[in-house]
Amino acid sequence: MAQDSRVGIVANPASGRDIRRLVAGASVFGNADKAGIVLRVLAGLGAAGVRTALMMPAFDGLSAALERQLHAHATAERHHGAAPLPSLEALPMPLTGTAADSVRAVELMRAAGVSVIVVLGGDGTHRVVAKACGDIPLCALSTGTNNAFPEVREGTVAGLAAGLVATGRAGDGALRRELALAVELGDAEPELALVDVILSAEPFTGARALWRGSGVSELFVACANPSAVGFSSIAGLLQPLPRAGGRGMHVRLTDDPAEAHLVLRVPLAPGLLAAVGVAGFRTLELGEEVATAPGSGCLALDGEREIERRPGEHVTVRLVPGPLTIDVDAVMRHAARVNATRMHPPPE
Amino acid sequence: MSTVAPPETGQLTKEQLLEAYRVMRTIREFEERLHTEFATGEIPGFVHLYAGEEAIAAGVCAHLTPDDYVASTHRGHGHAIAKGCDVKAMMAEIYGRKTGLCHGKGGSMHIADLAKGMLGANGIVGGGPPLVCGVGLTARVKQTDQVAVSFTGDGGSNQGTFLESLNLAACWNLPCVFVIEDNGYAESTPPAFHQAGVDIAKRADGFGLPGVEVDGFDFFAVHEAAGEAVRRARSGAGASLLVCKVMRYYGHFEGDQQTYRGADEVKELRRTRDCLDAFARRVTEAGAVEESDLSDIDESVRALLDEAVAEAQAGPHPGVDEVLTDVYVKY
Repeated sequence: MAQDSRVGIVANPASGRDIRRLVAGASVFGNADKAGIVLRVLAGLGAAGVRTALMMPAFDGLSAALERQLHAHATAERHHGAAPLPSLEALPMPLTGTAADSVRAVELMRAAGVSVIVVLGGDGTHRVVAKACGDIPLCALSTGTNNAFPEVREGTVAGLAAGLVATGRAGDGALRRELALAVELGDAEPELALVDVILSAEPFTGARALWRGSGVSELFVACANPSAVGFSSIAGLLQPLPRAGGRGMHVRLTDDPAEAHLVLRVPLAPGLLAAVGVAGFRTLELGEEVATAPGSGCLALDGEREIERRPGEHVTVRLVPGPLTIDVDAVMRHAARVNATRMHPPPE
Repeated sequence: MSTVAPPETGQLTKEQLLEAYRVMRTIREFEERLHTEFATGEIPGFVHLYAGEEAIAAGVCAHLTPDDYVASTHRGHGHAIAKGCDVKAMMAEIYGRKTGLCHGKGGSMHIADLAKGMLGANGIVGGGPPLVCGVGLTARVKQTDQVAVSFTGDGGSNQGTFLESLNLAACWNLPCVFVIEDNGYAESTPPAFHQAGVDIAKRADGFGLPGVEVDGFDFFAVHEAAGEAVRRARSGAGASLLVCKVMRYYGHFEGDQQTYRGADEVKELRRTRDCLDAFARRVTEAGAVEESDLSDIDESVRALLDEAVAEAQAGPHPGVDEVLTDVYVKY
């Protein structure tokens, strides 16, 4: 058992508040709520024996709310058999208020030797973390909008499972190697997407979140879950593929009814169902590289318009191995089998 | 300066892109010029400069017609320009001359033009939101499709008037958009010290209104989100809260020593977060406009500002016999 296991926590204060609140039925995921989830994760980590947690400092309400909650927790009556929370250390880093903060935090966590990173965010947050985390397993918790990649999972149990992984007591089968999409655009730095890559005719990134079904010509997915929300649901409803199953999909979409082989009505965002015309689709094998049709417009990664494509710029998309994620259910089943939660000796 | 409502698709025509650039460039040059002229001591009162935040005024007001209304803050030049107020008359007003928008009586903090739907810059923090509730109520009673937009700062978002306005607009389903320009300093105090929760967008939830946060340096982000908020209000679906995260290049007021800012903070900001540079680069790289289109605008804006300052400096002061005019309304 690792004695000094450390866990990193990335809680994105910017997730869950974009334009989908206006154009669809999404609600704002408040930062005080995220602080509550972090507290619960810490409780789970502590029970699993993790002594130290590292976190990005947040100068907005998330850390202020968390500090208050930690203080209340420390002064409250301790439950019979409750473990102390890990000590929470803020990473020494300046904040820019952009996605670069999450990247920097993950780099510092790697340097500090964390064995697991718990992430609170949407698809976009997880994408950014996955670019920098290498093979450190992620516990992916959803606080975003569509949440095709992270799961809606109660924080206490997630913390417990993450702690068991961090302390080396999770057994085999605890981790899942996800798939990802590597995107190369001209001679820019390659990008990574965990859920989908979309070619949109919209010339500018605008308010980022992609929610219009029209003007989309190509869709690549790393997972095809029929129960997902977002553009990847198109793939999932065409041909479901198991998550981390080694295959993805490439779908050609069209606004022209004459070109469409079929038209699907899909949930593009919470509360937003739209018709999309499918011109064709096929599965992608691991390592397979696809060159997209020439054109201009935006590339959306995991549902957010990220890159403005210049006319004539070449884009290739390749299905690649992605980050490791923790299968919380598998960890807890193992924990039950090996009595990982048994206390030696029983509390007085 | 005309403001034209864009087509439904959210895509901007070349004319609209150039108009957006013209609005932002005019605001930038106006504020930079004021910074220089104010230092001569010739301008009475205080000025609070908007430089750095242009994308918000331009992105929001691009969706408004002359029949729509905006209410502003003490940092109001940008909103006035974006809403179509005459630049020369604005400069004359700031110089306190009779030829100004308010006949030289109001100065920078009371710049207004009701004919253009600009209810005024406002020295009262949080003073704008209740005013736009009034406009919204009028629009509902008269059954027009007018929209009213207020601009408030992060400090102002703590004011009771702001929260009461959200409540009232939600209760009465008013066609309002409440824009928060969160520039990280309430005068000199950052939100971590003055704002419980530090989560302005989430405050809308408490009133059952949608709250959205966007990058205030990105014209396209502001434009898209504001477009949806305005469309929502105009269609009768009610009010919304739009939080734009930005930073200002100058101090709270001209003369502010800005000891609360990092040593190179403004220098870095101007280098890395300039909404005009970013806009120009993106629209030219996308092939939507030519560089020469933009430099033509730069030139004509600078000429306009030169004329505005010269005419303001030469303008007559209001006389003592006018001290009591424009104080009361005659019915």
